[in-house]
Amino acid sequence: MKQKITVIPRYGSSFKDKLYLPAIYDGVKVTFKHLFDNVSDINAVDTLEYPEEQPTDITDRYRGLHRLTQRSDDSIACVACFMCATACPSNCIFIEATEREDGHDEKMPKSFFIDTLECVFCGYCVEACPCDAIRMDTGIFSLTGNSREDFVLNKEQLLANKGAFGEENSCARD
Amino acid sequence: MSEMVEVIVDKRAFNAEKGTLLIDLLIKEKIKVPYFCYHEALGADGNCRMCMVEIEGQKRPQIACDTLIKEGMEVRSTGENIEKVHTDILELELINHPVDCPTCDQAGECSLQNFYMDYGLNDSKITIPEKVKGLKKVDLGSNVMLDQERCVLCARCTRFTDKITGTHELGIIGRGDHARVSTMPGRKLDNPYAMNVVDLCPVGALTSKDFRFSQRVWFLKTVDSICHGCAKGCNIYIDHNKMKYKDDQLYRFRPRRNDEVNGFFICDEGRLSYKALQEDRQEKIVLHGKEILEEEAIKAFQTLVEKYKSNITVVIDANLYTEEIEAILDFSKEIAANVCSPLEVYIDEEFEDDMLKSANRAANSKTIENLNINSNIPDKSGLLINFNHPGEFEAELKIDFRTHQDAKTEFILPLASYVESSGHITNEDGISQYCEKALSKNDPVPTVIEWLEKVRS
Repeated sequence: MKQKITVIPRYGSSFKDKLYLPAIYDGVKVTFKHLFDNVSDINAVDTLEYPEEQPTDITDRYRGLHRLTQRSDDSIACVACFMCATACPSNCIFIEATEREDGHDEKMPKSFFIDTLECVFCGYCVEACPCDAIRMDTGIFSLTGNSREDFVLNKEQLLANKGAFGEENSCARD
Repeated sequence: MSEMVEVIVDKRAFNAEKGTLLIDLLIKEKIKVPYFCYHEALGADGNCRMCMVEIEGQKRPQIACDTLIKEGMEVRSTGENIEKVHTDILELELINHPVDCPTCDQAGECSLQNFYMDYGLNDSKITIPEKVKGLKKVDLGSNVMLDQERCVLCARCTRFTDKITGTHELGIIGRGDHARVSTMPGRKLDNPYAMNVVDLCPVGALTSKDFRFSQRVWFLKTVDSICHGCAKGCNIYIDHNKMKYKDDQLYRFRPRRNDEVNGFFICDEGRLSYKALQEDRQEKIVLHGKEILEEEAIKAFQTLVEKYKSNITVVIDANLYTEEIEAILDFSKEIAANVCSPLEVYIDEEFEDDMLKSANRAANSKTIENLNINSNIPDKSGLLINFNHPGEFEAELKIDFRTHQDAKTEFILPLASYVESSGHITNEDGISQYCEKALSKNDPVPTVIEWLEKVRS
């Protein structure tokens, strides 16, 4: 069989390229252009003075910290089906199921932990949830703590996180 | 002996016994056929209509579970027509099904789910959102929970109580959409084999109260093993799982088919015996009430064996694996000890019945007999080394190898239970069967063979 070989010409072999100076000149030109722009109007510099200034461009598609949603009567929407834990690529969701006594369905989580240090924020748990019970629409992008345990969020903490984009309750359950 | 005839299924020729059920041939030859109500132990009932096949010369599709094999029969189990039949019948089953798979323990091993993936994948044509309601949480007794909404009315459970146990607790009451499984008023499901209906139920209508919500089935790992509850040697599946950051744990025992031993079922006591296997385990080495290290224990063991030379009795539990018993015999020969395994303590007449329960509660007592081990109670000796035998014996000093915390002697060494090691056991009918190792603990306890290697060095 005839082999298909494509010969790629080697770039940078011309006299101009071998001098290097024209390329250095091009690069430095860009640097100096920005320098002069910034020095002439210091207020136009495109930086954010975090943490005093907070970002304002977080959209509703941003995958922030997780939360557990509620139904319209404030009971937990989660039915402990383990779909999120099954879909999770980093196995950071730990659920224990128990009998539900509040009249909705039969099952609810007794405990629900997300280890945010192990989480890769891929959003698969949100995709997998059949009850719209877990969401990442809190807009929270920074989590601080003093120990590893502080980053393992429990059911109460996840329920306390609120949605930042208007939709408060689960859309799938009532 | 009946006549063997040739039948053609999906253009392939098979030999089958004349007059047997067509569905048995399909199941045996692993030809895909969906069914809810048929079960090899319960026979044909013909109510679910899922196992339809096309038979050449017949006007309409026929159910394979009630069709007898005839000479020259030509059967089609695939093709556009028959798949449409399967899809349509499945659609009827799903009209009133609650589709609450997220909260259903059967999800992952549910026939309805599997058939939907094979034949369904269609949207419901029903525009009325209301479904026929039934009771969702009925405790039938004997650890069986009933959800009437999920039921497909296959009647396997009622046929089990009619044909197998003969106790007739379950029945289908009501007609049409209101037909549902129930017990007689004021009566509970109460027989020693009741939990088998949980395995028989093809959907999530009957689930185990014991296993309820404890794990999703797709997380479980399954190994083949043998129940150690009595000398019958029923074949079981052990379902276990090691959750992240936790220890390997047993979740349930399920019966495994073996026509020579237990058929399709196991007793409830055997099924629930997994709990005792992980409660009150002996995990520490204890000498005079104090926990000691393994090296110290081995040294103490060797010193005691040296001290009581030729005045040692070794007692063997008749539940140990054959390999372990043989290893103990070899070791006993080395230290010139008397060996015995009193079998009387294992006899429990109350446990016996005419189905699967044997009065002999020692799983491997046949091996004790086969190896001609003394089964009388030993005379008083200097040192008694007990390998997990439940009996009480007289001796000046005792060394106990224990799986559970039930010994109150001076020197106790922990021992792995049967699910933590592997080996053969021989049941009362002389059938030798292999048990796989199920659990791999984070801190494994030595098995008999490992202990004997350690004390020899």
